[in-house]
Amino acid sequence: MSTVLAPLAHGIRSRALHWLHAHRRLGALGEAGIEKDLDAYKALTETALAAGLVLRDGTAGSRERVLAGELLEFSWAQLGQGTRLYERLVHHPMKTDPVECYSHFVDAGYRHTGLDQLISHLAAAGAAQAAELLPNRRLAVANALRATGCGHTAAVPDWETLTRATWLGRVLEPWHIDWETGYDLTHTVFHLTDWGRRPHALPADLAAYLTHWLPVWTDLWTEVGEWDLVGELLTVAGCLPDPHTEIDDWQRLARLQHPDGLVPRDSDPVDDDPATRFQDHQHTTVVAVIAASIALTRDLETPAATGPDSGP
Amino acid sequence: MIAERLRAAYEASAADLARGALGVLRGAGGTAVVADHLEAAQAGPPMAADAGGVDAGGVAAAVSAVRVLGADVLAPYVLVDQRLPPEESAAVCLCVSALPPVRQSPAAPPGGPEAPWIRAWIDWGLVTVLAGLDPAARPAAAVVPQQPPRCDDSAPRHRTGGGSDGDGGEGWVPWSLRMGQLASLALPGLDSPVHHLARCGVLALARGATRAVLRGDFATAARITRWLAWLAADGVPLPVNVSLLVREIALRGHDGGRCTLDLAIARRLLGEEGP
Repeated sequence: MSTVLAPLAHGIRSRALHWLHAHRRLGALGEAGIEKDLDAYKALTETALAAGLVLRDGTAGSRERVLAGELLEFSWAQLGQGTRLYERLVHHPMKTDPVECYSHFVDAGYRHTGLDQLISHLAAAGAAQAAELLPNRRLAVANALRATGCGHTAAVPDWETLTRATWLGRVLEPWHIDWETGYDLTHTVFHLTDWGRRPHALPADLAAYLTHWLPVWTDLWTEVGEWDLVGELLTVAGCLPDPHTEIDDWQRLARLQHPDGLVPRDSDPVDDDPATRFQDHQHTTVVAVIAASIALTRDLETPAATGPDSGP
Repeated sequence: MIAERLRAAYEASAADLARGALGVLRGAGGTAVVADHLEAAQAGPPMAADAGGVDAGGVAAAVSAVRVLGADVLAPYVLVDQRLPPEESAAVCLCVSALPPVRQSPAAPPGGPEAPWIRAWIDWGLVTVLAGLDPAARPAAAVVPQQPPRCDDSAPRHRTGGGSDGDGGEGWVPWSLRMGQLASLALPGLDSPVHHLARCGVLALARGATRAVLRGDFATAARITRWLAWLAADGVPLPVNVSLLVREIALRGHDGGRCTLDLAIARRLLGEEGP
Protein backbone atom coordinates (compact mmCIF):
# COMPACT_ATOMS: atom_id res chain seq x y z
CA MET A 1 0.00 0.00 0.00
CA SER A 2 1.19 3.49 -0.75
CA THR A 3 2.68 4.93 2.39
CA VAL A 4 1.64 8.43 1.30
CA LEU A 5 -1.85 8.04 -0.13
CA ALA A 6 -3.29 5.50 2.28
CA PRO A 7 -3.06 7.53 5.50
CA LEU A 8 -4.37 10.61 3.72
CA ALA A 9 -7.34 8.77 2.23
CA HIS A 10 -8.07 7.01 5.52
CA GLY A 11 -8.06 10.31 7.38
CA ILE A 12 -10.29 12.09 4.87
CA ARG A 13 -12.77 9.23 4.80
CA SER A 14 -12.90 8.80 8.56
CA ARG A 15 -13.54 12.50 9.21
CA ALA A 16 -16.13 12.68 6.43
CA LEU A 17 -17.94 9.62 7.74
CA HIS A 18 -18.06 11.06 11.23
CA TRP A 19 -19.58 14.29 9.88
CA LEU A 20 -22.18 12.47 7.77
CA HIS A 21 -23.08 10.30 10.74
CA ALA A 22 -23.26 13.18 13.21
CA HIS A 23 -25.56 15.17 10.93
CA ARG A 24 -27.56 12.35 9.36
CA ARG A 25 -30.88 13.48 10.86
CA LEU A 26 -30.60 16.73 8.93
CA GLY A 27 -31.11 14.56 5.87
CA ALA A 28 -34.22 12.82 7.17
CA LEU A 29 -36.97 12.34 4.63
CA GLY A 30 -39.90 13.23 6.85
CA GLU A 31 -43.47 12.05 6.73
CA ALA A 32 -44.25 13.71 3.40
CA GLY A 33 -42.20 11.15 1.54
CA ILE A 34 -39.94 11.08 -1.46
CA GLU A 35 -42.05 13.18 -3.83
CA LYS A 36 -42.10 16.10 -1.41
CA ASP A 37 -38.39 16.05 -0.66
CA LEU A 38 -36.38 14.87 -3.62
CA ASP A 39 -33.22 16.52 -2.25
CA ALA A 40 -33.35 14.41 0.91
CA TYR A 41 -34.09 11.32 -1.18
CA LYS A 42 -31.06 12.02 -3.34
CA ALA A 43 -28.90 12.57 -0.26
CA LEU A 44 -30.02 9.28 1.27
CA THR A 45 -29.23 7.48 -1.98
CA GLU A 46 -25.74 8.97 -2.08
CA THR A 47 -25.15 8.19 1.58
CA ALA A 48 -26.10 4.57 1.01
CA LEU A 49 -23.69 4.34 -1.90
CA ALA A 50 -20.82 5.83 0.09
CA ALA A 51 -21.48 3.72 3.18
CA GLY A 52 -21.74 0.59 1.05
CA LEU A 53 -18.37 1.31 -0.51
CA VAL A 54 -16.82 1.71 2.95
CA LEU A 55 -18.06 -1.76 3.83
CA ARG A 56 -17.22 -3.28 0.46
CA ASP A 57 -13.75 -4.49 1.31
CA GLY A 58 -11.34 -4.66 4.18
CA THR A 59 -9.97 -1.15 4.10
CA ALA A 60 -12.13 0.36 6.86
CA GLY A 61 -11.39 0.19 10.56
CA SER A 62 -13.94 -1.06 13.06
CA ARG A 63 -15.16 2.43 13.99
CA GLU A 64 -15.67 3.39 10.35
CA ARG A 65 -17.54 0.15 9.71
CA VAL A 66 -19.90 0.89 12.58
CA LEU A 67 -20.54 4.41 11.27
CA ALA A 68 -21.11 3.16 7.74
CA GLY A 69 -23.45 0.43 8.97
CA GLU A 70 -25.49 2.91 10.98
CA LEU A 71 -25.69 5.31 8.04
CA LEU A 72 -27.05 2.49 5.89
CA GLU A 73 -29.54 1.51 8.58
CA PHE A 74 -30.67 5.11 8.95
CA SER A 75 -31.07 5.59 5.20
CA TRP A 76 -32.90 2.29 4.76
CA ALA A 77 -35.23 3.17 7.62
CA GLN A 78 -35.92 6.57 6.05
CA LEU A 79 -36.95 4.74 2.91
CA GLY A 80 -39.28 2.51 4.90
CA GLN A 81 -37.00 -0.49 4.46
CA GLY A 82 -37.57 -0.14 0.74
CA THR A 83 -41.32 0.37 0.87
CA ARG A 84 -41.11 4.01 -0.12
CA LEU A 85 -39.00 3.06 -3.14
CA TYR A 86 -41.52 0.39 -4.02
CA GLU A 87 -44.40 2.84 -3.76
CA ARG A 88 -42.61 5.40 -5.91
CA LEU A 89 -41.98 2.80 -8.58
CA VAL A 90 -45.54 1.49 -8.45
CA HIS A 91 -46.92 4.97 -8.99
CA HIS A 92 -44.21 6.04 -11.43
CA PRO A 93 -43.06 2.93 -13.30
CA MET A 94 -41.00 4.94 -15.78
CA LYS A 95 -38.90 6.49 -13.01
CA THR A 96 -35.48 4.89 -12.82
CA ASP A 97 -34.19 6.49 -9.61
CA PRO A 98 -35.81 3.86 -7.34
CA VAL A 99 -33.86 1.15 -9.16
CA GLU A 100 -30.64 3.15 -8.96
CA CYS A 101 -31.18 3.91 -5.27
CA TYR A 102 -32.12 0.34 -4.42
CA SER A 103 -29.00 -1.05 -6.10
CA HIS A 104 -26.80 0.63 -3.49
CA PHE A 105 -28.72 -1.07 -0.69
CA VAL A 106 -28.59 -4.42 -2.47
CA ASP A 107 -24.83 -4.04 -2.66
CA ALA A 108 -24.81 -3.68 1.10
CA GLY A 109 -27.03 -6.73 1.64
CA TYR A 110 -30.51 -5.19 1.90
CA ARG A 111 -33.50 -6.61 0.01
CA HIS A 112 -37.16 -5.78 -0.52
CA THR A 113 -39.09 -8.61 -2.11
CA GLY A 114 -41.75 -6.42 -3.68
CA LEU A 115 -39.13 -4.21 -5.26
CA ASP A 116 -37.24 -7.20 -6.60
CA GLN A 117 -40.39 -8.47 -8.29
CA LEU A 118 -41.46 -5.09 -9.61
CA ILE A 119 -38.03 -4.15 -10.98
CA SER A 120 -37.61 -7.58 -12.58
CA HIS A 121 -41.02 -7.19 -14.23
CA LEU A 122 -40.26 -3.70 -15.56
CA ALA A 123 -36.83 -4.82 -16.78
CA ALA A 124 -38.21 -7.89 -18.54
CA ALA A 125 -40.83 -5.70 -20.23
CA GLY A 126 -38.06 -3.33 -21.33
CA ALA A 127 -39.73 -0.40 -19.57
CA ALA A 128 -36.88 0.23 -17.14
CA GLN A 129 -34.47 0.64 -20.02
CA ALA A 130 -36.79 2.75 -22.19
CA ALA A 131 -37.07 5.88 -20.08
CA GLU A 132 -35.94 9.02 -21.90
CA LEU A 133 -32.66 9.73 -20.14
CA LEU A 134 -29.29 11.32 -20.67
CA PRO A 135 -26.92 8.70 -22.10
CA ASN A 136 -24.89 8.38 -18.89
CA ARG A 137 -28.10 7.76 -16.95
CA ARG A 138 -28.90 4.87 -19.27
CA LEU A 139 -25.65 3.34 -18.11
CA ALA A 140 -26.76 3.99 -14.52
CA VAL A 141 -29.92 1.97 -15.11
CA ALA A 142 -28.02 -0.86 -16.81
CA ASN A 143 -25.56 -0.99 -13.93
CA ALA A 144 -28.32 -0.86 -11.31
CA LEU A 145 -30.16 -3.75 -13.01
CA ARG A 146 -26.92 -5.69 -13.06
CA ALA A 147 -26.19 -4.90 -9.41
CA THR A 148 -29.67 -5.81 -8.20
CA GLY A 149 -29.79 -8.96 -10.29
CA CYS A 150 -33.22 -7.84 -11.45
CA GLY A 151 -32.17 -7.59 -15.08
CA HIS A 152 -31.47 -11.26 -15.59
CA THR A 153 -34.71 -11.89 -17.44
CA ALA A 154 -34.28 -8.82 -19.63
CA ALA A 155 -32.31 -8.46 -22.83
CA VAL A 156 -28.59 -8.20 -22.20
CA PRO A 157 -27.68 -4.51 -22.32
CA ASP A 158 -25.55 -3.42 -25.22
CA TRP A 159 -22.84 -1.77 -23.15
CA GLU A 160 -20.85 -0.68 -26.17
CA THR A 161 -23.78 1.18 -27.73
CA LEU A 162 -24.76 2.69 -24.39
CA THR A 163 -21.18 3.81 -23.81
CA ARG A 164 -20.66 5.34 -27.23
CA ALA A 165 -23.82 7.43 -26.82
CA THR A 166 -22.24 9.34 -23.91
CA TRP A 167 -20.00 12.39 -24.13
CA LEU A 168 -17.06 10.29 -22.97
CA GLY A 169 -17.80 7.60 -25.53
CA ARG A 170 -17.40 10.11 -28.34
CA VAL A 171 -13.76 10.69 -27.37
CA LEU A 172 -13.96 14.35 -28.37
CA GLU A 173 -11.08 16.77 -28.38
CA PRO A 174 -10.42 17.42 -24.69
CA TRP A 175 -11.23 21.13 -24.75
CA HIS A 176 -14.86 20.43 -25.69
CA ILE A 177 -15.92 20.04 -22.08
CA ASP A 178 -17.78 22.13 -19.56
CA TRP A 179 -18.76 21.83 -15.93
CA GLU A 180 -21.90 19.76 -16.54
CA THR A 181 -20.17 17.53 -19.05
CA GLY A 182 -17.46 17.01 -16.45
CA TYR A 183 -20.06 15.43 -14.17
CA ASP A 184 -21.47 13.42 -17.05
CA LEU A 185 -18.12 11.86 -17.82
CA THR A 186 -17.52 10.96 -14.18
CA HIS A 187 -20.81 9.11 -13.98
CA THR A 188 -20.19 7.29 -17.24
CA VAL A 189 -17.03 5.90 -15.64
CA PHE A 190 -18.74 5.11 -12.32
CA HIS A 191 -21.48 3.07 -13.96
CA LEU A 192 -19.25 1.33 -16.49
CA THR A 193 -16.81 0.25 -13.80
CA ASP A 194 -19.50 -0.25 -11.15
CA TRP A 195 -17.82 2.31 -8.88
CA GLY A 196 -14.34 0.96 -9.40
CA ARG A 197 -15.22 -2.72 -8.98
CA ARG A 198 -14.68 -3.48 -12.65
CA PRO A 199 -11.96 -1.12 -13.87
CA HIS A 200 -11.26 -3.28 -16.90
CA ALA A 201 -14.85 -2.86 -18.09
CA LEU A 202 -13.73 0.59 -19.20
CA PRO A 203 -12.89 0.30 -22.92
CA ALA A 204 -9.17 0.63 -23.50
CA ASP A 205 -9.49 3.74 -25.66
CA LEU A 206 -11.52 5.50 -22.97
CA ALA A 207 -9.03 4.52 -20.29
CA ALA A 208 -6.21 5.96 -22.41
CA TYR A 209 -8.24 9.11 -23.12
CA LEU A 210 -8.92 9.65 -19.43
CA THR A 211 -5.29 9.01 -18.53
CA HIS A 212 -4.31 11.74 -20.96
CA TRP A 213 -6.83 14.39 -19.99
CA LEU A 214 -7.95 13.85 -16.40
CA PRO A 215 -4.89 15.77 -15.16
CA VAL A 216 -5.90 18.75 -17.30
CA TRP A 217 -9.51 18.80 -16.15
CA THR A 218 -8.52 18.23 -12.53
CA ASP A 219 -6.12 21.15 -12.78
CA LEU A 220 -8.75 23.36 -14.37
CA TRP A 221 -11.43 22.83 -11.75
CA THR A 222 -8.91 22.92 -8.93
CA GLU A 223 -7.87 26.39 -10.06
CA VAL A 224 -11.45 27.67 -9.76
CA GLY A 225 -12.14 25.81 -6.52
CA GLU A 226 -14.87 23.46 -7.79
CA TRP A 227 -14.08 20.93 -5.07
CA ASP A 228 -17.15 18.80 -5.66
CA LEU A 229 -16.22 18.14 -9.28
CA VAL A 230 -12.55 17.74 -8.37
CA GLY A 231 -13.59 15.05 -5.89
CA GLU A 232 -15.53 13.27 -8.59
CA LEU A 233 -12.55 13.46 -10.95
CA LEU A 234 -10.32 11.99 -8.23
CA THR A 235 -12.84 9.17 -7.99
CA VAL A 236 -12.61 8.60 -11.72
CA ALA A 237 -8.82 8.47 -11.44
CA GLY A 238 -9.27 5.65 -8.94
CA CYS A 239 -11.57 3.74 -11.30
CA LEU A 240 -9.02 3.52 -14.13
CA PRO A 241 -7.41 0.18 -14.92
CA ASP A 242 -4.15 1.84 -13.95
CA PRO A 243 -5.20 4.26 -11.21
CA HIS A 244 -3.67 7.68 -11.51
CA THR A 245 -2.90 9.57 -8.34
CA GLU A 246 -1.31 12.91 -7.69
CA ILE A 247 -0.62 13.16 -4.02
CA ASP A 248 -0.92 16.96 -4.15
CA ASP A 249 -4.62 16.60 -4.99
CA TRP A 250 -5.23 14.45 -1.94
CA GLN A 251 -3.20 16.71 0.31
CA ARG A 252 -5.24 19.67 -0.93
CA LEU A 253 -8.49 17.80 -0.24
CA ALA A 254 -7.28 17.05 3.28
CA ARG A 255 -6.41 20.71 3.85
CA LEU A 256 -9.81 21.81 2.56
CA GLN A 257 -11.69 19.48 4.85
CA HIS A 258 -13.00 21.17 7.96
CA PRO A 259 -11.95 19.78 11.34
CA ASP A 260 -15.43 18.33 11.84
CA GLY A 261 -15.17 16.41 8.55
CA LEU A 262 -17.20 18.63 6.20
CA VAL A 263 -15.72 18.89 2.72
CA PRO A 264 -16.75 22.18 1.04
CA ARG A 265 -18.33 21.98 -2.38
CA ASP A 266 -16.48 25.05 -3.71
CA SER A 267 -14.38 28.00 -2.63
CA ASP A 268 -17.34 30.08 -1.40
CA PRO A 269 -17.60 30.75 2.35
CA VAL A 270 -19.24 27.96 4.35
CA ASP A 271 -22.39 28.96 6.24
CA ASP A 272 -22.54 28.55 10.03
CA ASP A 273 -26.10 27.22 10.11
CA PRO A 274 -25.98 23.42 10.50
CA ALA A 275 -28.96 22.79 8.20
CA THR A 276 -27.50 24.99 5.46
CA ARG A 277 -24.08 23.39 5.90
CA PHE A 278 -25.63 19.96 5.46
CA GLN A 279 -27.69 20.98 2.47
CA ASP A 280 -24.76 22.66 0.73
CA HIS A 281 -21.92 20.29 1.49
CA GLN A 282 -23.41 16.85 2.12
CA HIS A 283 -22.81 15.80 -1.48
CA THR A 284 -19.14 16.80 -1.54
CA THR A 285 -18.55 15.08 1.79
CA VAL A 286 -20.14 11.93 0.36
CA VAL A 287 -17.93 12.29 -2.72
CA ALA A 288 -14.89 12.44 -0.45
CA VAL A 289 -15.92 9.15 1.19
CA ILE A 290 -16.45 7.54 -2.22
CA ALA A 291 -13.20 8.83 -3.69
CA ALA A 292 -11.19 7.74 -0.66
CA SER A 293 -12.87 4.31 -0.50
CA ILE A 294 -12.18 3.55 -4.14
CA ALA A 295 -8.63 4.86 -3.89
CA LEU A 296 -7.98 2.66 -0.84
CA THR A 297 -9.48 -0.41 -2.50
CA ARG A 298 -7.46 0.07 -5.67
CA ASP A 299 -4.39 0.80 -3.61
CA LEU A 300 -4.72 -2.60 -2.00
CA GLU A 301 -4.85 -4.22 -5.44
CA THR A 302 -1.93 -2.28 -6.86
CA PRO A 303 1.68 -3.28 -6.25
CA ALA A 304 3.84 -0.83 -4.30
CA ALA A 305 3.44 2.61 -5.78
CA THR A 306 6.20 3.83 -8.02
CA GLY A 307 4.41 6.71 -9.70
CA PRO A 308 3.72 10.25 -8.68
CA ASP A 309 1.69 9.15 -5.68
CA SER A 310 4.94 8.48 -3.93
CA GLY A 311 5.46 12.21 -3.91
CA PRO A 312 7.98 14.54 -5.42
CA MET B 1 3.90 55.05 -14.03
CA ILE B 2 6.84 55.73 -16.33
CA ALA B 3 7.83 52.07 -16.31
CA GLU B 4 4.24 51.10 -17.10
CA ARG B 5 4.05 53.54 -19.99
CA LEU B 6 7.34 52.32 -21.32
CA ARG B 7 6.24 48.74 -21.06
CA ALA B 8 2.97 49.54 -22.82
CA ALA B 9 4.90 51.25 -25.62
CA TYR B 10 7.21 48.25 -26.00
CA GLU B 11 4.25 45.87 -26.03
CA ALA B 12 2.49 48.01 -28.62
CA SER B 13 5.59 47.96 -30.78
CA ALA B 14 5.81 44.16 -30.52
CA ALA B 15 2.13 43.88 -31.47
CA ASP B 16 2.71 46.16 -34.47
CA LEU B 17 5.66 44.05 -35.52
CA ALA B 18 3.57 40.87 -35.24
CA ARG B 19 0.90 42.46 -37.45
CA GLY B 20 3.61 43.37 -39.93
CA ALA B 21 4.94 39.82 -40.01
CA LEU B 22 1.40 38.55 -40.41
CA GLY B 23 0.80 40.88 -43.35
CA VAL B 24 3.94 39.69 -45.14
CA LEU B 25 3.15 36.07 -44.36
CA ARG B 26 -0.33 36.49 -45.86
CA GLY B 27 1.02 38.44 -48.79
CA ALA B 28 -1.17 41.30 -47.69
CA GLY B 29 1.57 43.79 -46.82
CA GLY B 30 4.99 44.68 -48.13
CA THR B 31 7.89 42.32 -48.39
CA ALA B 32 9.91 43.51 -45.41
CA VAL B 33 8.96 43.01 -41.78
CA VAL B 34 11.78 44.37 -39.66
CA ALA B 35 13.01 47.04 -42.06
CA ASP B 36 9.50 48.48 -42.37
CA HIS B 37 9.02 48.35 -38.63
CA LEU B 38 12.26 50.23 -37.95
CA GLU B 39 11.44 52.75 -40.62
CA ALA B 40 8.01 53.39 -39.15
CA ALA B 41 9.56 53.80 -35.71
CA GLN B 42 12.07 56.32 -36.98
CA ALA B 43 9.29 58.29 -38.63
CA GLY B 44 7.10 58.20 -35.52
CA PRO B 45 7.01 60.62 -32.57
CA PRO B 46 9.79 60.29 -29.95
CA MET B 47 8.97 58.71 -26.62
CA ALA B 48 11.47 60.74 -24.60
CA ALA B 49 8.81 62.66 -22.67
CA ASP B 50 7.20 59.45 -21.48
CA ALA B 51 10.50 57.99 -20.49
CA GLY B 52 11.15 60.60 -17.86
CA GLY B 53 14.20 62.03 -19.54
CA VAL B 54 15.53 58.72 -20.78
CA ASP B 55 15.39 58.84 -24.54
CA ALA B 56 14.06 55.37 -25.03
CA GLY B 57 12.56 56.33 -28.36
CA GLY B 58 10.33 54.44 -30.71
CA VAL B 59 13.39 52.93 -32.37
CA ALA B 60 14.54 51.36 -29.11
CA ALA B 61 11.09 49.87 -28.66
CA ALA B 62 11.14 48.64 -32.24
CA VAL B 63 14.53 46.99 -31.82
CA SER B 64 13.35 45.42 -28.60
CA ALA B 65 10.23 44.15 -30.35
CA VAL B 66 12.38 42.30 -32.87
CA ARG B 67 14.15 40.58 -30.01
CA VAL B 68 10.81 39.70 -28.41
CA LEU B 69 9.42 38.06 -31.54
CA GLY B 70 12.75 36.45 -32.37
CA ALA B 71 12.74 34.18 -35.39
CA ASP B 72 9.05 34.87 -35.96
CA VAL B 73 9.99 38.10 -37.74
CA LEU B 74 11.58 35.89 -40.39
CA ALA B 75 8.79 33.32 -40.48
CA PRO B 76 7.32 34.67 -43.75
CA TYR B 77 10.59 33.99 -45.53
CA VAL B 78 10.87 30.51 -44.00
CA LEU B 79 7.31 29.41 -44.58
CA VAL B 80 6.40 31.10 -47.85
CA ASP B 81 8.36 31.07 -51.04
CA GLN B 82 9.44 34.64 -50.50
CA ARG B 83 12.98 35.92 -50.84
CA LEU B 84 14.54 37.70 -47.90
CA PRO B 85 15.18 41.25 -49.11
CA PRO B 86 18.73 42.49 -48.45
CA GLU B 87 17.43 45.44 -46.45
CA GLU B 88 15.54 43.04 -44.24
CA SER B 89 18.66 41.02 -43.53
CA ALA B 90 20.53 44.22 -42.72
CA ALA B 91 17.74 45.43 -40.45
CA VAL B 92 17.79 42.19 -38.44
CA CYS B 93 21.58 42.38 -38.18
CA LEU B 94 21.23 45.95 -36.93
CA CYS B 95 18.79 44.88 -34.22
CA VAL B 96 21.02 42.02 -33.14
CA SER B 97 24.07 44.24 -32.93
CA ALA B 98 22.11 46.91 -31.02
CA LEU B 99 21.21 44.39 -28.32
CA PRO B 100 23.85 41.71 -28.71
CA PRO B 101 23.15 38.19 -27.49
CA VAL B 102 24.97 37.10 -24.36
CA ARG B 103 28.39 35.59 -24.98
CA GLN B 104 28.15 33.02 -22.20
CA SER B 105 25.32 30.58 -22.03
CA PRO B 106 23.11 31.38 -19.04
CA ALA B 107 22.33 28.54 -16.65
CA ALA B 108 19.16 26.71 -17.51
CA PRO B 109 16.27 26.65 -15.04
CA PRO B 110 15.83 25.57 -12.33
CA GLY B 111 19.49 26.33 -11.57
CA GLY B 112 19.33 29.71 -13.28
CA PRO B 113 16.57 32.27 -13.76
CA GLU B 114 14.09 31.71 -16.58
CA ALA B 115 14.16 35.11 -18.30
CA PRO B 116 17.82 35.37 -19.48
CA TRP B 117 17.87 31.74 -20.50
CA ILE B 118 14.68 32.12 -22.58
CA ARG B 119 16.08 35.36 -24.02
CA ALA B 120 19.23 33.47 -25.05
CA TRP B 121 17.20 30.78 -26.83
CA ILE B 122 15.07 33.32 -28.69
CA ASP B 123 18.24 35.13 -29.76
CA TRP B 124 19.75 31.86 -30.92
CA GLY B 125 16.63 31.15 -32.99
CA LEU B 126 16.68 34.58 -34.64
CA VAL B 127 20.37 34.45 -35.50
CA THR B 128 20.22 30.85 -36.71
CA VAL B 129 17.21 31.42 -38.97
CA LEU B 130 18.82 34.56 -40.40
CA ALA B 131 22.01 32.64 -41.14
CA GLY B 132 19.97 30.00 -42.92
CA LEU B 133 18.16 32.55 -45.06
CA ASP B 134 21.15 34.75 -45.77
CA PRO B 135 24.49 32.98 -45.40
CA ALA B 136 26.22 36.26 -46.17
CA ALA B 137 24.68 37.96 -43.16
CA ARG B 138 27.03 38.49 -40.26
CA PRO B 139 24.90 39.07 -37.19
CA ALA B 140 26.49 38.98 -33.76
CA ALA B 141 26.99 35.37 -32.73
CA ALA B 142 24.53 33.71 -30.37
CA VAL B 143 25.66 30.83 -28.18
CA VAL B 144 23.64 27.63 -28.03
CA PRO B 145 22.06 27.84 -24.57
CA GLN B 146 21.83 24.99 -22.14
CA GLN B 147 19.01 22.54 -22.66
CA PRO B 148 15.80 22.85 -20.66
CA PRO B 149 14.66 20.41 -17.98
CA ARG B 150 12.90 17.42 -19.46
CA CYS B 151 9.23 16.74 -18.89
CA ASP B 152 7.81 13.73 -17.09
CA ASP B 153 4.16 13.12 -18.05
CA SER B 154 3.52 11.22 -14.85
CA ALA B 155 5.22 13.70 -12.51
CA PRO B 156 3.04 15.90 -10.29
CA ARG B 157 1.69 18.33 -12.85
CA HIS B 158 3.02 21.51 -11.20
CA ARG B 159 6.43 20.17 -10.22
CA THR B 160 9.13 22.57 -11.33
CA GLY B 161 12.69 21.79 -12.16
CA GLY B 162 12.51 18.04 -11.88
CA GLY B 163 12.64 15.85 -8.83
CA SER B 164 14.63 16.61 -5.76
CA ASP B 165 16.79 13.59 -6.46
CA GLY B 166 17.67 15.04 -9.84
CA ASP B 167 16.36 12.18 -11.95
CA GLY B 168 12.70 13.14 -12.14
CA GLY B 169 11.31 15.35 -14.89
CA GLU B 170 9.28 18.48 -14.64
CA GLY B 171 5.49 18.55 -14.43
CA TRP B 172 3.64 19.22 -17.66
CA VAL B 173 2.19 22.57 -16.54
CA PRO B 174 5.39 24.59 -16.02
CA TRP B 175 7.16 22.67 -18.76
CA SER B 176 4.53 23.38 -21.41
CA LEU B 177 4.26 27.03 -20.36
CA ARG B 178 8.00 27.44 -20.85
CA MET B 179 7.82 25.75 -24.24
CA GLY B 180 5.15 28.28 -25.13
CA GLN B 181 7.61 31.05 -24.36
CA LEU B 182 10.04 29.37 -26.73
CA ALA B 183 7.45 29.07 -29.52
CA SER B 184 9.44 31.20 -31.97
CA LEU B 185 11.82 28.25 -32.22
CA ALA B 186 9.01 26.11 -33.66
CA LEU B 187 9.94 26.81 -37.27
CA PRO B 188 11.15 24.52 -40.03
CA GLY B 189 14.91 24.31 -40.34
CA LEU B 190 15.61 24.81 -36.65
CA ASP B 191 16.72 21.91 -34.52
CA SER B 192 18.20 21.95 -31.05
CA PRO B 193 17.90 20.31 -27.64
CA VAL B 194 14.64 22.26 -27.21
CA HIS B 195 13.25 20.61 -30.34
CA HIS B 196 14.41 17.23 -29.12
CA LEU B 197 12.54 17.76 -25.87
CA ALA B 198 9.44 18.85 -27.80
CA ARG B 199 9.50 15.50 -29.57
CA CYS B 200 9.71 13.81 -26.17
CA GLY B 201 6.98 15.98 -24.68
CA VAL B 202 4.09 15.54 -27.09
CA LEU B 203 1.49 14.72 -24.45
CA ALA B 204 2.70 17.53 -22.19
CA LEU B 205 2.36 20.02 -25.03
CA ALA B 206 -1.13 18.75 -25.88
CA ARG B 207 -2.13 18.98 -22.22
CA GLY B 208 -0.66 22.46 -21.94
CA ALA B 209 -2.48 23.71 -25.02
CA THR B 210 -5.76 22.15 -23.85
CA ARG B 211 -5.37 23.68 -20.40
CA ALA B 212 -4.73 27.10 -21.92
CA VAL B 213 -7.82 26.86 -24.17
CA LEU B 214 -9.98 25.83 -21.24
CA ARG B 215 -8.62 28.72 -19.16
CA GLY B 216 -9.37 31.14 -22.00
CA ASP B 217 -5.67 31.99 -22.31
CA PHE B 218 -5.61 31.89 -26.08
CA ALA B 219 -2.24 33.62 -26.47
CA THR B 220 -0.58 30.84 -24.51
CA ALA B 221 -2.69 28.22 -26.26
CA ALA B 222 -1.56 29.49 -29.66
CA ARG B 223 2.08 29.49 -28.66
CA ILE B 224 2.05 25.92 -27.34
CA THR B 225 0.01 24.87 -30.36
CA ARG B 226 2.86 26.13 -32.54
CA TRP B 227 4.92 23.26 -31.17
CA LEU B 228 2.18 20.77 -31.88
CA ALA B 229 1.97 22.01 -35.46
CA TRP B 230 5.75 21.81 -35.74
CA LEU B 231 5.64 18.22 -34.47
CA ALA B 232 2.86 17.37 -36.93
CA ALA B 233 5.00 18.77 -39.74
CA ASP B 234 7.79 16.59 -38.41
CA GLY B 235 5.55 13.52 -38.76
CA VAL B 236 5.04 12.98 -35.04
CA PRO B 237 1.64 11.42 -34.12
CA LEU B 238 -0.34 13.70 -31.80
CA PRO B 239 -3.03 12.95 -29.19
CA VAL B 240 -5.13 15.88 -30.43
CA ASN B 241 -6.35 17.08 -33.81
CA VAL B 242 -4.11 20.11 -34.12
CA SER B 243 -6.03 21.52 -37.10
CA LEU B 244 -9.18 21.60 -34.98
CA LEU B 245 -7.18 23.12 -32.14
CA VAL B 246 -5.87 25.91 -34.36
CA ARG B 247 -9.38 26.66 -35.61
CA GLU B 248 -10.76 26.61 -32.07
CA ILE B 249 -8.21 29.17 -30.90
CA ALA B 250 -8.64 31.26 -34.04
CA LEU B 251 -12.39 31.47 -33.59
CA ARG B 252 -12.26 32.26 -29.90
CA GLY B 253 -9.02 34.07 -29.32
CA HIS B 254 -7.56 35.73 -32.38
CA ASP B 255 -6.22 39.20 -31.67
CA GLY B 256 -4.96 40.25 -35.07
CA GLY B 257 -1.45 40.37 -33.57
CA ARG B 258 0.85 37.89 -31.91
CA CYS B 259 -1.78 35.22 -31.29
CA THR B 260 -3.01 35.45 -34.87
CA LEU B 261 0.59 35.31 -36.13
CA ASP B 262 1.22 32.15 -34.09
CA LEU B 263 -1.91 30.59 -35.55
CA ALA B 264 -1.01 31.63 -39.10
CA ILE B 265 2.43 30.06 -38.68
CA ALA B 266 0.83 26.93 -37.24
CA ARG B 267 -1.47 26.66 -40.25
CA ARG B 268 1.47 27.04 -42.61
CA LEU B 269 3.30 24.32 -40.69
CA LEU B 270 0.26 22.12 -41.16
CA GLY B 271 0.15 22.87 -44.86
CA GLU B 272 -3.12 24.73 -44.53
CA GLU B 273 -3.53 27.81 -46.62
CA GLY B 274 -4.95 31.13 -45.62
CA PRO B 275 -4.94 33.22 -42.43
